[in-house]
Amino acid sequence: MINKNIKFNILFRYLRISLSLLSCIFLYSSNSFAAFGDDIEKPRPEFTVGEDKISAKFIPRAKSTSVIIDFKASGGKLVNVAGVDFEALQRPELDIKNYKSSFFEIKLENVELDSEATIHLFSNFFSSSTAFWVVTKDQKETWINTEAQKNIHPDRVYELVVKAKDGGPSDMDGAVDGRITLIGGPKDSFWGYALGTLFIRFFGIFLVLGLLMIGMIISGKVFSRIMKKKDDPIPSVDENLISSKAAAAIAVALKIHLSAGKERLRPDQVYNEEQSTWSQQGCKRIMSDRSLVFNRQT
Amino acid sequence: MSWDQVLELLKNIVLTQTGIPSITFKEIIMICVGLFFLYLAIAKEYEPLLLMPIGFGIFLVNFPLTPLMGYTEHGNPELIRAFYKYGIEWEIIPCVIFLGLGAMTDFGPLIANPKTLIIGAGAQLGVFITYIGTLFFGFTLKEAASVGIIGGADGPTTIYLTAKLAPHLLGANALAAYSYMAMVPLIQPPIMRLMTTIDQRKIKMRQLRDVSQREKLLFPLIATVLIVLLIPAVAPLMGMFMFGNLMRECGVVKRLSDTAQNALMNIVTIFLGLSVGATMQANTFLTWKPLFIFTFGLFDFVVCTFGGILTVHIMNLFLKEKINPLIGSAGVSAVPMSARVSHVEGLKADKDNWLIMHAMGPNLAGVIGSAAAAGMFIAMFN
Repeated sequence: MINKNIKFNILFRYLRISLSLLSCIFLYSSNSFAAFGDDIEKPRPEFTVGEDKISAKFIPRAKSTSVIIDFKASGGKLVNVAGVDFEALQRPELDIKNYKSSFFEIKLENVELDSEATIHLFSNFFSSSTAFWVVTKDQKETWINTEAQKNIHPDRVYELVVKAKDGGPSDMDGAVDGRITLIGGPKDSFWGYALGTLFIRFFGIFLVLGLLMIGMIISGKVFSRIMKKKDDPIPSVDENLISSKAAAAIAVALKIHLSAGKERLRPDQVYNEEQSTWSQQGCKRIMSDRSLVFNRQT
Repeated sequence: MSWDQVLELLKNIVLTQTGIPSITFKEIIMICVGLFFLYLAIAKEYEPLLLMPIGFGIFLVNFPLTPLMGYTEHGNPELIRAFYKYGIEWEIIPCVIFLGLGAMTDFGPLIANPKTLIIGAGAQLGVFITYIGTLFFGFTLKEAASVGIIGGADGPTTIYLTAKLAPHLLGANALAAYSYMAMVPLIQPPIMRLMTTIDQRKIKMRQLRDVSQREKLLFPLIATVLIVLLIPAVAPLMGMFMFGNLMRECGVVKRLSDTAQNALMNIVTIFLGLSVGATMQANTFLTWKPLFIFTFGLFDFVVCTFGGILTVHIMNLFLKEKINPLIGSAGVSAVPMSARVSHVEGLKADKDNWLIMHAMGPNLAGVIGSAAAAGMFIAMFN
């Protein structure tokens, strides 16, 4: 009873410390720690201009390899795409982590006055949950979801279809002049991704090791059957070469060793205090020798 | 030459060619940190094979004007920078260490009781919990993954993953991993006692079955096929680990196996320790991040131990032949330290309860599990 109380107290103490720690975490929300050093993962896109498209190649946030986004336009001519710094946008209310691919300034010309143009973004970096958000001139609703349509193409390439109206809320020049300037970027939920991947990958380890376990259980059964069928000849021993103590110790050790897997013999059935000390010593020695191979230092 | 000229020359030499006037307070702190780890390694024998070179690396590299971690005028790396660049940046040393570890490891206990693989998976709980926890503190996803893997208690895996994802945290992560690995006998027992009853600690497990040489020989091949097929990103680590083990078990390349276990392992350990230590220069190391890493590293170890024991409790609900939950803590792959801790705790409950061989199963499974977790993280960022 006392033992249980002590355990409960220790558990309660751990719980209290954990709760205090969690409170601290939430008091200092992730935003307050966002400026925890430099933005070391800032994407730095490099652009190449093709015949009918402009491609941006960059290493996005939380990735080790580069990705490519192709920009195309219809209903107007795509004249330029450039990278935009998050700091330059001065929108501290946004969590930069949700925008893994940086922000882009997309410029279109020759748009029919007061009409819509369409921008197509192609990349295998997008997923079904990727949205395209743009900055607006409106001071109240500073960012809007363009509700981009998503089409999937071969090789897991997603196409985001973004519509923008000349002089509309997402047109940064604000004028009906046949030119559209969009500033925005593909958005994915950071926490959704982080938590989703946590569960998938943790259970992935169970899956991998579980499959390995099944493989080993099957191969173990096959080998056990083979070993049972095999009859090893008993080697002859010159009795004069070995002392009676050593022989007894070896006999006990062999008893443990050979009975394993064949009958349900537990160490306490063989190794107990009723046996003589030197046979116990034999057991200990054989156990120590077996554990030596694991005695590595690094 | 007049006295004034001699004095000016002396002054110039002291100011420009010695480190005395250039030394900063931060560097003095780091030199003390280096000395502290040397003390732990030499006087307390905490993981001396690694903490000693790491400690000396920290100690040496924090003296001002030392041509050790920079580049020469011609762009060639200086001494320890060269060790770091070709050994760690190129991801060679951690893989070579895995080769040696494979050559040293007897998978017999794991093959005899494959169920313990699940314990090794459960003990990775802390890796993922810490990964989420660090994100709250503004760590990036890559940094969080590299901090999370500390709980896997596998030095080379931690170094491999950190060098790949967040090389600027290499020193802190490696130091936290090896320090806490050395402290496993202090960290784990209270959690083990908290999570088990006396009766559970007394559970005696059946003697492990005999494992034939052929089975041991086939194991690295089967494991490589399954793991590399499912997680190709872990192929450099697992491939080397299983190759080392195959060299050991095949019995026809004893010289190679011996070299991998001893000479090669010792050589790369020297370079690994020195270069990891040398990454901890005052200007990059003395920030808040290492403090968070050390705190989360400890938390990680605690949750991993908890996860391993919890997994055994869950398994026992379904198994006819119960597993002693003390071996759950050995899923933290500090080989063989955590297996020894399980054994010692078992003996405290019942002096006839020999758990060491049973605990080696989850211990080895933990090595595979933490490498698999590292592979999962690498794949996530590719």
